Amino acid sequence: MFAQFFGGYLFNHKLCSAEDLTQAFEAKKYTRLRLGVLAINAGLMTAEQVEHVNITQQSVDKRFGDLAVELGYVTEEDVEKLLSQQPTDYLLLGQTLVNNGALTNAEFEKAINDYKSENQLSDDDISENQNETLNKLIKEFYHFDSAVDAKINTEFVTLLFKNIIRFIGDDFTPLEASVVKNYKAENLIIQHINGTYSATACIGAYRDAYIGFAARFAKEDFTEIDDFVHATVGEFLNVNDGLFIVNESNERGVELSLTPQELSESAEIFFDDTAFCIPVVFPFGQVDFIISNH
Amino acid sequence: MNINEMTVLICDDSMFARKKLSMTMSSFGVKAVFEAADGEEAVAKYKENLPDVVFMDIIMPKVTGIDALKMIVDEYPDAKVIMASSVGTQGHLKEALKAGAVDFLQKPISDADAEKVIQNVAKGVL
Repeated sequence: MFAQFFGGYLFNHKLCSAEDLTQAFEAKKYTRLRLGVLAINAGLMTAEQVEHVNITQQSVDKRFGDLAVELGYVTEEDVEKLLSQQPTDYLLLGQTLVNNGALTNAEFEKAINDYKSENQLSDDDISENQNETLNKLIKEFYHFDSAVDAKINTEFVTLLFKNIIRFIGDDFTPLEASVVKNYKAENLIIQHINGTYSATACIGAYRDAYIGFAARFAKEDFTEIDDFVHATVGEFLNVNDGLFIVNESNERGVELSLTPQELSESAEIFFDDTAFCIPVVFPFGQVDFIISNH
Repeated sequence: MNINEMTVLICDDSMFARKKLSMTMSSFGVKAVFEAADGEEAVAKYKENLPDVVFMDIIMPKVTGIDALKMIVDEYPDAKVIMASSVGTQGHLKEALKAGAVDFLQKPISDADAEKVIQNVAKGVL
């Protein structure tokens, strides 16, 4: 999930476009991680040194690692250690963006260092995909400190992104959230969570994105919005919310229940308290996820 | 009981959940699959078809899955009702088992979980 939030970071800082990211998420499965990107990520080489090796390679028939050692930028041990690393998703994304010309090595170096530093992330944090680290990353990304209960929102959204990866796919970019008092959508699914506290979760999207989202979840092809497409998106929300209340019950002893999902077309919902609208861009379009707790 | 002699009732307000589970059941070769979209219809369809196994969602309009379960078991104590819900909390689990459910599956239901249930019913384990 760090790849998706690193993508979101790049987009929010205007370092690349949503289109660049969509293309990169599609292409990254075919990308081979190069030593230069690994060395930049590990802080062993600067982007300038990587560029120097790349340029030198054009006139000398030698591998990147051998040249980098010869030029004194890294040791043979460093190269071996880098080559033994498992490719991580966010580095593959970075490499793909560099390959596609969306980012230069220097921009990638600055972005990855700033991203890790701003989020106080170490390589171990990122590679282990720890829940606590994910929660921290999501809380920071969405500025949930201002929410009525930042913990509830953070737990909910962390689970939501895990379920998006599990059931829809990992080729998405989360965009910055906006705080809303009402939300209007061409297609809208609403589910209320009641009990120790109350919350409302919604999914909203325009036609193509809505159909695309349903098609991914159902693993079927859809061309028109009908009751089955609504039921499919509704079931994603229901499964997500159900797993959330199971976690709340098991981990915090909080007892909650769900209402049946409400499916609407061209509808608007008004919230009593703060609601967060979380847009996520997929190759098939933008889907908004809204969470409000009160 | 052979699986190809088995009849199944799927009770879920989600058309998507019903269709997916129904397709899974058909792929196992069950004799017939009946569907109900709410708790009220679930009780009626049970009485009408007397299925060998029932998959029952909890959150449904009109009559909840737990209430439908109670109504079915009250009249048919040997009914094999499996709760199939997204809300598998300890509270719901206890409530369902106390009301007479024979098993509980957390949604989304995997094919492997569904197959295990069908085989257990066939073997008379549930």
